Amino acid sequence: MNAVQRFFRRYIISTIGIVVLFLAVNIVLFFAILILGSMSGSDAVFSVETFSDHVSRQDGTWRADDVARSMLEEHDAWAMLLNEEGDVIWQQDLPENLPRSYTSAEVASFSRWYLEDYPVKVWTRPDGKLMVVGFPPEALVKFYYAVEQPYLGALLTGGVAVFFINLFLIVFLILRNTRNVEKAMTPILQGIQNLSHGKAEHLAEQGELAEINAGLNRAADYMRQKDNTRAEWIRGVSHDIRTPLSMVLGYASELEDDGNLPPDARKQAGIIRRESEKMKRLIDDLNLTTKLEYALQPVHFQDMDWVETSRQAVSEVLNSGLDSRYEIVFAEMQPGRSLHLLGDDGLLRRMLDNLIRNSITHNPHGCRISVSVGEEKGHCLCIVSDDGIGIEPERLKVLNRGDDITSTQGSDEKNEHGLGLKLVMQIVKAHRGTVSFSDSTPHGLEVRISLPTQPLIS
Amino acid sequence: MTNHKILLVDDDQNLLEMLFSIFKRAGYTNLLTAASGAQALRVWRDEQPNLIVLDVMMPDMDGFAVLKEIRRTSRVPVLMLTARGEAEDRIEGLEIGADDYLAKPFLPKELLLRVGAILSRAYPEQNKTVELAGATVDMTNAEVWKHGEKQTLTAKEMQLFEKLYQNAGRIVTTGILCETICGEFWQGYESTLSTHIRHLREKIEENPSKPVSLVTVKGLGYRLNLKEVSP
Repeated sequence: MNAVQRFFRRYIISTIGIVVLFLAVNIVLFFAILILGSMSGSDAVFSVETFSDHVSRQDGTWRADDVARSMLEEHDAWAMLLNEEGDVIWQQDLPENLPRSYTSAEVASFSRWYLEDYPVKVWTRPDGKLMVVGFPPEALVKFYYAVEQPYLGALLTGGVAVFFINLFLIVFLILRNTRNVEKAMTPILQGIQNLSHGKAEHLAEQGELAEINAGLNRAADYMRQKDNTRAEWIRGVSHDIRTPLSMVLGYASELEDDGNLPPDARKQAGIIRRESEKMKRLIDDLNLTTKLEYALQPVHFQDMDWVETSRQAVSEVLNSGLDSRYEIVFAEMQPGRSLHLLGDDGLLRRMLDNLIRNSITHNPHGCRISVSVGEEKGHCLCIVSDDGIGIEPERLKVLNRGDDITSTQGSDEKNEHGLGLKLVMQIVKAHRGTVSFSDSTPHGLEVRISLPTQPLIS
Repeated sequence: MTNHKILLVDDDQNLLEMLFSIFKRAGYTNLLTAASGAQALRVWRDEQPNLIVLDVMMPDMDGFAVLKEIRRTSRVPVLMLTARGEAEDRIEGLEIGADDYLAKPFLPKELLLRVGAILSRAYPEQNKTVELAGATVDMTNAEVWKHGEKQTLTAKEMQLFEKLYQNAGRIVTTGILCETICGEFWQGYESTLSTHIRHLREKIEENPSKPVSLVTVKGLGYRLNLKEVSP
């Protein structure tokens, strides 16, 4: 789930990043165009003021010097000078078709717009004359814009508002779209994740992605069917082994107790009986572990007394006839206090039984096994420790990582403990508890189990 | 105990033979066998056994069906044997009315122990006495004889003693003993239990402060040791 959420969060952030980048690039480009445009115009802007300075009255006649004339030539322009009455008192290259006298209205009009088609620039000289320079049509664009103050204010605010509304709309639509995609994709991604963890959940086959959901459902069904087949197979095999094993166990027991047989033969029968008992446990473990793994065995949660359950588990081991090499000590961390727990009595007894038998099988030369039960921070505790040979650090690490224990590694005696401990972990997991393995001092193995008292709530 | 008539039912001929051999060696002389559900019902009607050891999985008619048929008219004790061992099977068997349930493969000792427990519950022996190291307990009259003196056991003491006797040589936990005398909601009755145990010891032990018959198993519960019988 986290991976999916992370993916969509990153997607949204990157999309917003793209929008911001888009805006920034546009602003930069806009200013670049402004600057480039201003640079691409004619190198020397025609200044009527400068031009006007080069036109002067000499000996009663108006004349332009060389600088003025070359300025006009350069821009292919013409010039005229108007006196206060609007009459042309000097001109240079003034087109023939233009009048030689202007009313004040005409002056007002062309100084703002065009004279005929000629764009013009004007300059009022200090002596009151008006210098007019005309350029070829389309050399200049003249426009005139006048707005009222409040309208300009509204226009500016409106522009900013439109900009932000646009921005908001873009972000909102992106988020909404992403949310929709997320809604459609999350169950599918979740389904894939569940499948990878071996959990097969049914997805609703609706919407545009119904086909993908259906595909995932088919995969889940296939997986479930395979699991069921495997579980059924294990169940079938273990069922078929039970009856023959009953015969081996039964007759070996009979022979072991038969006083008419020589001691050696009885001893051998005893070995057959003990090994058969190991096989019986193995089959029981295999069956239960399969059922827990494929969730074929429902966990029957009921109110139970944790101390009494532990007492019964320890007593069962002692009652089954424990070799004198082993000693089991049972202790309550908070003596006399009853600890209640919601759990499956049968499974938890099996768990303790497996832990004690694990210590027994690991230490063929005998050991002292201590089982302590108690309560800590609302959790029921159980610590099973022995003073035996302990366990290799590597294997301890593997156990604490909680990796799946494969019961097929190697061919030594450790195999069967593998299955026993796997079952312990499965039962603890089914009760939403934790299990940790460590070395006990001075040597041996310590297994600490902590179970929540209300596993269905926490 | 040994002259109880016991019917053994299993479709596997070899297993049936083994069951027969186990019971015979244990001293049961009156044994009947049946290799199918239908045959089991016939033998049960004709012979009226005291106890039936019934296999669940049989081709013609499974053990549950046989048990249902029997339970319509009879309360004869039945111990179910199954090759399945699943919790559901166990519950189904006990719901239909089986007295006990044992999963294959089983130890002959365990089978005999359970059959013995069912029989002693269903057919309490007349004038049954239990020999302990320091006293003799008359189960029928709830009396203890120590050094020729008679003492009576209270009802609770008798219940405790019966529970311990049914599991003689085995540890019986504090919880189970409390439940025996106080019922399902036994929590908090541990001190009551130790009072009853003390009284019981005073009656059955030679030296109550150093018990040899009714011993404490530290932290777990109590165990009743019967008097060793020299062979």
